[in-house]
Amino acid sequence: MIAQIKEFITTIPVKKVSVKDLLSFEKNFANYLVAAFVVVGMAMLVIGVITYLGHGHHAYNVTREHPWGLMIAVYIFFVVSSTGLCIVGSLGDVFGFKDYELISKRAIFGSIVTILAGFLVIAFEIGHPVTMVIYNVVSPGLTSAIWWMGTLYGAYLAFMIVEFIFLLKNDMKMAKYFGLAGLLIGLAAHSNLGSVFGFLNARPISNGVFYPTYFILTAFITGIFIAFIIMGFRYRLRFNEEVKKMLTGLAKIQALLLSILIFFVTWKLLTDIYGGMPDRAEVAIHILGSGTFWAEVILAMVIPLVIILKTGGKAHVALVFASLSGMVGIFFMRYNLVHDTQLKPLQMLKKVEYQLPPEWVHYFPSATEMMISIGGLAFCIAMYWVGTKAFNLDADH
Amino acid sequence: MARYGMALDYKNCINCKACEVACKEENGVLLGADKHRIWVGVGEIEGEYPLLSIVSNTFYPSQCQHCDEAPCQMVCPTNATYYGEQGQVRVDPEKCILCSYCMNACPYDARYVDDRTMTVDKCTFCTDTRLERGETTTACQNTCPTKVRIFGDLDDPQSEISELLRTREHFTLKANLGTKPKLFYLT
Repeated sequence: MIAQIKEFITTIPVKKVSVKDLLSFEKNFANYLVAAFVVVGMAMLVIGVITYLGHGHHAYNVTREHPWGLMIAVYIFFVVSSTGLCIVGSLGDVFGFKDYELISKRAIFGSIVTILAGFLVIAFEIGHPVTMVIYNVVSPGLTSAIWWMGTLYGAYLAFMIVEFIFLLKNDMKMAKYFGLAGLLIGLAAHSNLGSVFGFLNARPISNGVFYPTYFILTAFITGIFIAFIIMGFRYRLRFNEEVKKMLTGLAKIQALLLSILIFFVTWKLLTDIYGGMPDRAEVAIHILGSGTFWAEVILAMVIPLVIILKTGGKAHVALVFASLSGMVGIFFMRYNLVHDTQLKPLQMLKKVEYQLPPEWVHYFPSATEMMISIGGLAFCIAMYWVGTKAFNLDADH
Repeated sequence: MARYGMALDYKNCINCKACEVACKEENGVLLGADKHRIWVGVGEIEGEYPLLSIVSNTFYPSQCQHCDEAPCQMVCPTNATYYGEQGQVRVDPEKCILCSYCMNACPYDARYVDDRTMTVDKCTFCTDTRLERGETTTACQNTCPTKVRIFGDLDDPQSEISELLRTREHFTLKANLGTKPKLFYLT
C-alpha cells in the first residue's frame, strides 16, 4: 500500500522549476504590472502579518459591534472563487462537455490555489487557528455552520488535489470520480458558508434561505469570470478557434446566470423592503443607498451582461476586461454581504452607549487588514504562476 | 440540580451603575470594557420643555440572557460555548478560537472579547466566583440598592424568583426569536 502511494506520488508529472524559470516571462506591460503587484502584495502580506503578530486583533478595525471585517469578506471571496472554478473545471472532466475540457486543469488548479489563499487569509483572522485545528476534531460543534463549512472545505481541498493529480496523469476516469466527489463536497461546503449568514436569526437581513442558494449561483458566476481572466492571460488575448468556441459557450452561460442573479437580488431587496419588517426593511433601504452596493451591481452584473448580450458572447477580449470588472464587483459583493449583515446595531437598550443612539454600525478596514487581504491575492497569483511553470495546465489532445 | 435565572424589577432601577462596578470587581473585567458584560440601558427624556415625556425616561438593566435555546451555543464550531450544569451559558476559553460567530449570532449583544485571553467572554451569573464560593447571589444582585435583581432557581417552586414569576407579569427580550431567555423583566 505504502509502495503504491509512493509510486502514485513519484509518477506525478512535475517539471523542475528554477528561480530563473519563475523570473522569466514575456516582457510586456501587463506582465510587468502583474509581477509588480505580486512583489508589492507579498511585501504587504509580510508587513501585515508582522503587525498582526505584534498587536493581534487590535491591528484590525473590527469591534464588538462589527466583529467580522474585511478579511472575512476576502476569505469568502477566495472560497467563492475556488468553488466557482471547481464548477467550471467540472463541466469538462465530470460532466463530459468536451468544449470545456480545455480549461479543466487550469480551473481545478485555480480552485486549489484560491482556496489556499482563502485559508491563508482566514488563518490571520481567526484568533486561535491552532486551537481551531485541534478542537475542530476533538470537540466538534455539529450544530455550527462554520464547523461544517470548514470541515467540508478541508475535504474538498483534498479531493481537488487528487483530482488535479489524476488530470495531470491524464487518468480521466479517476479524475471524474474525484472531481464529482470534490464538486459535491465543495457545493455542500459553499452552501454551508451561505448558511453561516442564513442561520443568523439575530440578523433579519441575512436570515433565511437566500444566501445558501445565492452563494452557489455567484460561485458559478465568479468561476466564469476567472476562467475568462486566466484564458486571457494564457493566450495573451489572441485566442484560437477552439478557445473562442469555449469562451463563447461560457459567456452564454454567464449571461443566463447574471440574469438569474439580477432577478434574485431584485426580489431579495423587494421582499426585504415590502412590509417594512423592522431591522430588515430599513437595512435594505440603507443598502440601496450605499455606493458599494451599486459598485457590485454595475461592475459584476450590468457591465458583463450588457457586453455579452450586445455581442452574443463573441467579444472575447472585451469579456476578459469585463471579467476583471466583474471580479472587482464580486469583491464588493462579498464585502457588502459581511458588512450589511452587521449594519444594524443590536442595541439591546444600550441607547446611550455612544452618547448618541447609534443608527448604523460603521466599519472601515485598517491598513493591516488591507495589507493581508491584498497579500492574499498576491499569494494566490504567485502560486498560480508557479503552477503554470511546474505543471502542464493545457489540455492534452 | 438548580436551573438559574434572574428576574429584574427594572422599574426600580435608578441607574446608579453599582451593578456594573460590582460585576467588574467580582469578575475581574478589564477597565475600559464598559457596558460589555452588564449594562443599564437608558431611555432619555423625549420632548421639549415643558412638554417632556417623563415615561420615556426609563432604565433597563441587562446582560447575557442565559437562553435555554442559545444561538451562541448552537453556532460555536468547537463547543467552546456550552450549557453549565445549572443552565448557565458558559464559555471555555481553552476551546474558543475567536471566530466571533457567537458575537454575531447573539441577538442580545451580550458577548465581548477579553483582551487578556483574546477569547470571547460574557456574564456567567458569577459561576466561577460567588457561586463557586458557595454564595447564592450574584455580584450585581448583591450590590443593588433598590433590589432590582432577584437571582435564583427557576426549578424550585419555593424560590423567590419562582414566586415572583408566578405572581407578577413579566416579559423576556426578543421573545419572538425563540431563544427562551432566563432574564425576566417584571412589569
